[in-house]
Amino acid sequence: MSMIAADRPAPVSERRAGGGGPARRAVTRWGWRLARREWRRHALILAMLTVAVAATIVGLGTASNAAQLKANPVFGTASTIISLPGTDPHLSADIGAIRARVGPADVITHQQVAVPGSVASIDLRDQAPRGTFDRATLRLDSGHYPTGPGQVAVTSGTAKLFGLHIDSLWTAAGRTRQVVGIVENPLDLLDQFALVAPGQISPASTVTILSDFQPGPGNRFRLPSGLGMGFSSRGKPNTASVDALVLALGTIGMLFVGLMSVAGFTVMAQRRLRALGVLASLGATDKHVRLVMLADGAAVGLTGAVTGGVVGLAAWFAFVPGLQSLSGHRIDRFSLPWWAIGVSLVLAVLTAVAAAWWPARAVARTSIIAALSGRPSPPRPAHRFAALGVLLLGAGLALLYFSDHSSGSGGRKALFIIAGTLVTPVGLLFLAPLAIRALAAVAHRSGVAVRLALRDLARYQARSGAALGSVTLAIGIAATIAISAAASDTPNPVRNLPGDQLMFYVTPDTGSGQVPPLSASQLQTVTTRLDALAGAIHARAVLPLEQAYSPRAGLQPPQPGNGGRSIPAGYGVATLSRVIINPHSTEISGMDPLYVATPALLAHYGISPSAIGPGTDVLSARKDLAGLQIFAPEFKAEPGPQPGPAGPGPRGPDILHVAPKIQAFRQLPLYTSAPGTLLTTAAVQRLGLTPVPAAWWIQASGPLTSQQLQTARATAAGIGLYLETRTKQASLAPLRNWSTAIGILVSLGVLGMTVGLIRSETAADLRTLAATGASSTTRRTITGATSAALALLGALLGTAGAYAALLVWNRSDLSPLGRVPVANLVIILVGLPVLAGAGGWLAANREPPAMARQPLE
Amino acid sequence: MSVLEMRGVSKLYGDGPAGVHALRGVSLSVEEGELVAVMGPSGSGKSTLLTIAGTLEEPTSGEVSVAGTAVAGMSRNARARLRRRSIGYVFQDFNLLAGLTAVENVSLPLELDGVPARSARELGLRALDGLGLRERAGSFPDELSGGERQRVSIARAVVGERRLLLADEPSGALDSANGEAVMRLIRAACQRGVAGVVVTHDAQLASWADRVVFLRDGRVVDQTTPAPGPESMLAPNS
Repeated sequence: MSMIAADRPAPVSERRAGGGGPARRAVTRWGWRLARREWRRHALILAMLTVAVAATIVGLGTASNAAQLKANPVFGTASTIISLPGTDPHLSADIGAIRARVGPADVITHQQVAVPGSVASIDLRDQAPRGTFDRATLRLDSGHYPTGPGQVAVTSGTAKLFGLHIDSLWTAAGRTRQVVGIVENPLDLLDQFALVAPGQISPASTVTILSDFQPGPGNRFRLPSGLGMGFSSRGKPNTASVDALVLALGTIGMLFVGLMSVAGFTVMAQRRLRALGVLASLGATDKHVRLVMLADGAAVGLTGAVTGGVVGLAAWFAFVPGLQSLSGHRIDRFSLPWWAIGVSLVLAVLTAVAAAWWPARAVARTSIIAALSGRPSPPRPAHRFAALGVLLLGAGLALLYFSDHSSGSGGRKALFIIAGTLVTPVGLLFLAPLAIRALAAVAHRSGVAVRLALRDLARYQARSGAALGSVTLAIGIAATIAISAAASDTPNPVRNLPGDQLMFYVTPDTGSGQVPPLSASQLQTVTTRLDALAGAIHARAVLPLEQAYSPRAGLQPPQPGNGGRSIPAGYGVATLSRVIINPHSTEISGMDPLYVATPALLAHYGISPSAIGPGTDVLSARKDLAGLQIFAPEFKAEPGPQPGPAGPGPRGPDILHVAPKIQAFRQLPLYTSAPGTLLTTAAVQRLGLTPVPAAWWIQASGPLTSQQLQTARATAAGIGLYLETRTKQASLAPLRNWSTAIGILVSLGVLGMTVGLIRSETAADLRTLAATGASSTTRRTITGATSAALALLGALLGTAGAYAALLVWNRSDLSPLGRVPVANLVIILVGLPVLAGAGGWLAANREPPAMARQPLE
Repeated sequence: MSVLEMRGVSKLYGDGPAGVHALRGVSLSVEEGELVAVMGPSGSGKSTLLTIAGTLEEPTSGEVSVAGTAVAGMSRNARARLRRRSIGYVFQDFNLLAGLTAVENVSLPLELDGVPARSARELGLRALDGLGLRERAGSFPDELSGGERQRVSIARAVVGERRLLLADEPSGALDSANGEAVMRLIRAACQRGVAGVVVTHDAQLASWADRVVFLRDGRVVDQTTPAPGPESMLAPNS
């Protein structure tokens, strides 16, 4: 063996003190090579980064496209709609005058076609397929557009309703047409209509003219007919709010990425502690040590951004059909905020580098001897973080408070929203170490395994704090979405029926207005046919429903109704309405139907008649009835204007209006067409009202099939009744459930990564425990308790933070938050800790490793 | 000329009643080309002496100078520069960096000091060649045997212009044959002018040194020159 030659590199005096470029290249090369060699250890961080970036992309796509939900789908690209009544005797001249005045315009003629045996109607419209403004509201799905007088294209819902298909014949409004195509309104998939060629509708119900005309004081003009026009303007979209939402989502997403990365890189820094100590012992400066971790962060961030971008786009493309169904309008797959996605990808890399910087700084500050022996730095006192956390949480909530819609400009609001959304979770994160310490402090009451687990969480605060922060944020986002979705979902102003119920009305006016009387034989026929239907669909109950009218008013004459129908002569029944009596007129609004609380109806709801107070007039579960009165007309109406919203009505002496005594019964349904607001029989007697059969309510044993609905509709048409069934309405329940599921999955991933590290660092303790006779159950309990404790703290902090932020945000009206997504919160607060604990218990079956210290190579 | 000069060095870990005196007023001087072995029971302060001499730790009191430069008051970066230019460290468990080949491990201190990668690699290859490891230059640490890893570690400690070689139980993880070989290499480095300090439990290996310093409870209790014996006969300086 030869001896080492006395090698002399370039003179020392010529080299830079910090090693310059060669040193940076050397440590960067090592950092990248380490990242490549240890890709399996990075897999979880990469997976989380990928998921976070992908979720950000899907979130950005959803947010930017959800903004279109508020755009009125009838406008297309027009800014103004002018409406003319179909009864205009000079319709052509008026349309010509409008065209001459407003410039380019699209004219659409409408005719309402009644659906036999149903309260619903279909809009028959003539519309040019490629108009200037309305082309966005029409799309051909199959077949072709109608071109001649005998042709029609229908939406899929209309086709289903009438049992139509391409080439079949459809008779409506007194004419038979051949179906030549299936069409849709891409901006409103719930818009059910039939399309005919331009000029093929007569008589018209209404005519709408779409244009870019801007009505205003200087733009007034008169029509040849002298009639007034109805103007509707789209209004300016609130782009500031949309931008704020998108940016807030982006910043939350990046914060989430950063937190998870901090947890991950803290793990990696700990694993490399000895190697970094060796590097320092060879003469590397603190900057060199940090550079190794930063190079690692850059490599992981770049890979995560690329894979997350690809996965996110793929997920977005797959999610679009579901989002279309959820939002009720078509979405262009490529309609994405590309600039925001690009920024989020760049931010993902920068965030990963920034996330690696914190543990890199901590490692560089660790003494070389401690690093060489693999000992982590002692945890910092938790109260310092807690004070900062309280400060930031307060600041975040204050920012959200002052970002309320009622004050400030759009840009300022957006800034406040973004800052508040960012600062609030950061405040929660700083409270995490205190929460861990508090849990460890109460550990002395528990068994040895749980005690050890909780105390180790405090000992390894750097790891557990970052993990708790990530779980808190993941759960906080999921809880915020679930709570917000629940608050926005239920109070749908449009009443509906559950899928297993049917309502048959005597009047097409769905029970709120005028009820025609039935003869005894008609009543007998209706009862017989509905009983037969109930038997055919295996219904559980058929309940006849009554409303009540004032005999002083007598039978009212026929009236024009909605959807091109005529309301036959009948009794003006009592409703629960808002009544404002002015010196020369009376305004009636609201008009919720009141059904008589018959013994059969009360028995159906399980309400004992004896539970009803003697002076009670109305029974309901609603809490928004204050100010409403029992209203019934006591005049003989003339054909023409009737009391109604904003319309002139009879004077006070001609109406019955009584402030009712309301008794609450929680059994009664809310937000449904089923009878939920009941007039007691005692009130009927007191007010001198007379009951009249108004409807039949059928409760089926399960969701009704299309065939059963067709049968019911045919039955209704056969006996002259009007059927109401469940109409399709967009629901946010899938969003609520998916957000909860994703939040829990992400949390479990973070816990899996961190708990494994904490337990591996305490392998020496496990060896000692094993030596003193502890069984595998003890080991399992320790790991399970570690995991469950972190999950429980994260669930509690995240949910509390979400509620705190939403309470401040919705301070002007807190009632929507009363609708609590109980199932989602139970899954988060109970399910997550149980799942985490069970996962930890199952994963801790291995014997403790022989070496407590991580090997260098 | 003394390459390592320690005067009245003390090291106290912790404070108050729980404080532990690892070193108490230790003075040690190591000349150019001299090899000093440090022996003593566990907890006597041997490793602490070495880490303070290597500027990995600061003494609680006393003075340390390496290659004529006083360590006290130096910044962390200045100490790092001193380590990569003047001090080589050989660990018991090799401490080669995974992810770097043998030659990259050896040339790393040079690259950290600003030597261009190509020149540093050339110098690293020559250092490995001197230890008979040129053909393993491209191997990663986990592809090398224990003896080979320690030889790479020694090459890394002496490459460049190092003047002080510190070895903490360099043969502790090796069999006796490899242990002897490692001591022979360290001895050879000292013969070229490098000052060496070796911590060892093994009296046989300590016999390779010019001087043996005995530590007990953080104090130097004895300094001897090993008597020539059969082991010394194997030493190159015998």
